[in-house]
Amino acid sequence: MQIARRWLERLSLESFQTQLMGMVYGSGHAVLSRLDPRCMLIWYLFFAVAPWFISSLTVLAGMFLLLAVATVLSRAAPFILFILCLGLIGQVGWLFLLSLFFGGDAESALPLLKLTLKLSVVSLASITVFSGMDPERISDGLLALGMPAAFSFSLSYGYRILPVLLEEFRSVLLSYRLRGKAPAPGRFRYIRLAVYYLKLLVLSFYPLMLATAKRSRTTVEALEVRGFSYGMKNPASRRLKLEHLRTTWRDGVFLGGTAAYVSLLFWLG
Amino acid sequence: MVKSRLLSAANRLFRPKAETPQSGKPRQLESAGFGGRAADRKSAETAESAEISETAESAEISSTDQQAAPLAVDVRGVRFTYPGGDRQVLDGASLQLKAGSFTAVIGGNGSGKSTLCKLFNGLIPHYYSGDFEGEVWIEGRNAAVRSVAELSRQVGYVYQDFDNQLVRPTVLDEACFAPLNYGLKEYRSMGRQALEQCGLLHLQDRFIWELSGGQRHLLAIAGALSMQPAILVVDEPVSQLDPSHARQVYELLSRLHREQGITIVVIEHHAEFIADYCTEACLMDAGKMRWLLPVPQALNRLDELAALGIQPPEVTQAAARLNERLTESGSGLMAGVPDENDGNQATRLPITLEEAERCLSSLLAAAAAAPASAGLAPANPATTWQAFADSRPLNEGLVKADRTGSARSAPDLPTSTNPVEHLQSPDNTPPGPALLELSKISLSYGTQRNGRRTILDGISLSLHAGERVAVVGGNGAGKSSLLKAAAGIVRPDAGELFLQNGSASGVPLEQMSEQVGYVFQNPEDMFIDDCVSKEVSYALTRRKVPDAELRLHEMLQAFRLQELAERDARLLSGGQQRRCSLAIGAAMRPAVMLLDEPTANLDMATREDLLRTLQALSSHVSAVVVATHDMGLVREWASRVIVLNGGRIAADGPPEKVFADRELMARAGLTLTGLMELTDRLGFGERLARPTPVSLAAEMMRLINSGLTREKEEPRHADCPQMA
Repeated sequence: MQIARRWLERLSLESFQTQLMGMVYGSGHAVLSRLDPRCMLIWYLFFAVAPWFISSLTVLAGMFLLLAVATVLSRAAPFILFILCLGLIGQVGWLFLLSLFFGGDAESALPLLKLTLKLSVVSLASITVFSGMDPERISDGLLALGMPAAFSFSLSYGYRILPVLLEEFRSVLLSYRLRGKAPAPGRFRYIRLAVYYLKLLVLSFYPLMLATAKRSRTTVEALEVRGFSYGMKNPASRRLKLEHLRTTWRDGVFLGGTAAYVSLLFWLG
Repeated sequence: MVKSRLLSAANRLFRPKAETPQSGKPRQLESAGFGGRAADRKSAETAESAEISETAESAEISSTDQQAAPLAVDVRGVRFTYPGGDRQVLDGASLQLKAGSFTAVIGGNGSGKSTLCKLFNGLIPHYYSGDFEGEVWIEGRNAAVRSVAELSRQVGYVYQDFDNQLVRPTVLDEACFAPLNYGLKEYRSMGRQALEQCGLLHLQDRFIWELSGGQRHLLAIAGALSMQPAILVVDEPVSQLDPSHARQVYELLSRLHREQGITIVVIEHHAEFIADYCTEACLMDAGKMRWLLPVPQALNRLDELAALGIQPPEVTQAAARLNERLTESGSGLMAGVPDENDGNQATRLPITLEEAERCLSSLLAAAAAAPASAGLAPANPATTWQAFADSRPLNEGLVKADRTGSARSAPDLPTSTNPVEHLQSPDNTPPGPALLELSKISLSYGTQRNGRRTILDGISLSLHAGERVAVVGGNGAGKSSLLKAAAGIVRPDAGELFLQNGSASGVPLEQMSEQVGYVFQNPEDMFIDDCVSKEVSYALTRRKVPDAELRLHEMLQAFRLQELAERDARLLSGGQQRRCSLAIGAAMRPAVMLLDEPTANLDMATREDLLRTLQALSSHVSAVVVATHDMGLVREWASRVIVLNGGRIAADGPPEKVFADRELMARAGLTLTGLMELTDRLGFGERLARPTPVSLAAEMMRLINSGLTREKEEPRHADCPQMA
């Protein structure tokens, strides 16, 4: 119990915040961050959609391998991978148990394994893209691929505001705790504590939303004052923003290599 | 249900700030029809973006006045009501600002200061399309036909809640944001230049969340400067910053004003900063401009300022008090500062520290040195200052004589140079049992860049009933961390915390907060419900306090919140929010209450109000601890001061003793109030460690009188040489 508690203490919101921001913006040295964001997004689009239409186990397994390598190259944070595994095992394990309950047997594990593979391929692709490139590059990539400027800006702003939101979330949570009453020691104390904390986590979102609404008044005004809406309609501004995007031989090798590998998989399957 | 409540609350929040009317008798001002030829200095520099302003043609240029350069800002009889608002926020406001001026806009809450400034960049009426009447000319061009984006190239705007203005992840991105939006090719160099002006160039690759509050404010200014605006508006720069950062911001603004001729407009409550940096002040009252005057004259209108709840500089107040006393004693007014703007050789009260020092010291010198018949007015301040300096020994004699007497305000200081100076006098009656005791508390944080940083380094102290403790120290001295550690919010790396009934280790925060209350620096972080009464009663109902209803009523009354009970706390004004946060904290009747920077973000009138609220608080809790930068608050309220320096306690004792050690204050990075500085420079800082305008004036009177008495004996000595 002591070890678990110490581990839980280390798993504070604060360390989560540090890890998250480190992952999101600290991808400068990852190999994949040197690729052109447009190529990465097209690449991602393929791996996010294609697996749903493939039923060959060989192809899926092959894709999984490729993406596992890509994930390593993108230097994803361990805790994200941990959450992914937890989610997959939880989801699929639960379905498997259910199938056993309704008269299934080991046979029913196979289609579930397929589902797991599909889910993992899509998830790993997302992790690769979102941790391999910083939000600024993703946002520029989206803008270059013809997404509206407001959308691509919201994406980068969303990331930028994350630490502020997390900070505020922490203080709201603290506010609840300072004025609340924790479950008294007794039977099922840890279960009651878990319920108490989960409840607080959910409740904390309401004040957070209201505070954000208030804050956004200034932000929206400031965007106006700093020429943002003017820039959205201004082709010169868009050109300047995307000036730094260049496709190089690396992108060719990356996309070509992936295409060759995937065709090989299809041929095998 | 929850959703609809949330939506309605969100709707209210999205609406522009409703400002409350201010009483007072507005006076119609003289409105001169100025204008001038267009000399848009921006248009030449940014020719490639001419597509912005095809609408604004030269036909729009006012040609009423051809002779002078255009006014930077010319607002003529503007009336404005926010969309959905029921009150005219601007009610015939007119204002003419010369290019290259440094103007402070002052006025009470809800007098329309921010609204006035939002006319300059066209947010009103283009963005807030309420009922608008009147004309606004910016740099000689009509704002009505120009868009917000276009006007914003000339008018930079820095918001009061500047944090919400920063929208990009890194410092350089933020500084480049505006030029990039305008599609300017040299956006990078423009951003860098702005960063350099603000002294942030070395941080250009940092992320915004790695910056300190002061650096973020400078960055917000850099973002506004990146377009090289001709006019820069800064909304309440001081209120969100600690004194040293505030001064840094004003130094920057003053440099921009001096070296680049940028017209600067600040909305400001703090008269000390206005006196030191601004050239003109404009008083807003109930949506009208009462007057626009050079700062010295503006800050001399004491009665008018007082009526609107604006505090003139303390040194001015002290001089005014002294004048009152002098008039009472029949010795006539002191010689003030010659008024540059008045042909009649009239004098005015001093407004800056330097002026006050010259005035008062020459007065002292005159009283001490001049023959009794010569009156008090010195002929030449500079020479009499010299005379005063020469008369120092005499002064010290006075001090010594007084020390043998009964009225002794500051006993001798310990001369030890120990890092920890225990200033508590040994003959003090021992205080009761400790309510909260910190024993060798150490705390360090892991940072992204610099590894671990020690914040608190073996702090030991105990708090007793009836104490009003102020924790002071420079930036990063560990004030906030000490409070958080004492409240059990952060667990220290080493050391232990004791409550009345034993060690606090292992006590959950929920239980600990019943004995030790903590009030956040930012009241908004405490608001978790949708109206004031629910906020206050939340803890009471959670913890099933038997007389919750009664206690809620008591709290609302004590903190004057009855009328606000059903309002959303997020929508209250700064002072009301602060009162609400104190009520929330006090409702649980903790033995010790910890307040982090309670006077931050408050204007001067609200600050006075807070002092009263703190007195109210003392009747509900046993001991109050305040972490603050505000030496005025410490002077007026605290009974014990703890000075932190580098995570250690540098001094601990009653305020007059701590304040009397000016060397310690300097070492700990504490900013003296203007009045303390003045008292020091006049040479009786030791006797008057906690000066107020009243006590300083009284002390001056005493010195003058004793000087005069002495002179009655002195003529004999003075006659001696002649006789010889």
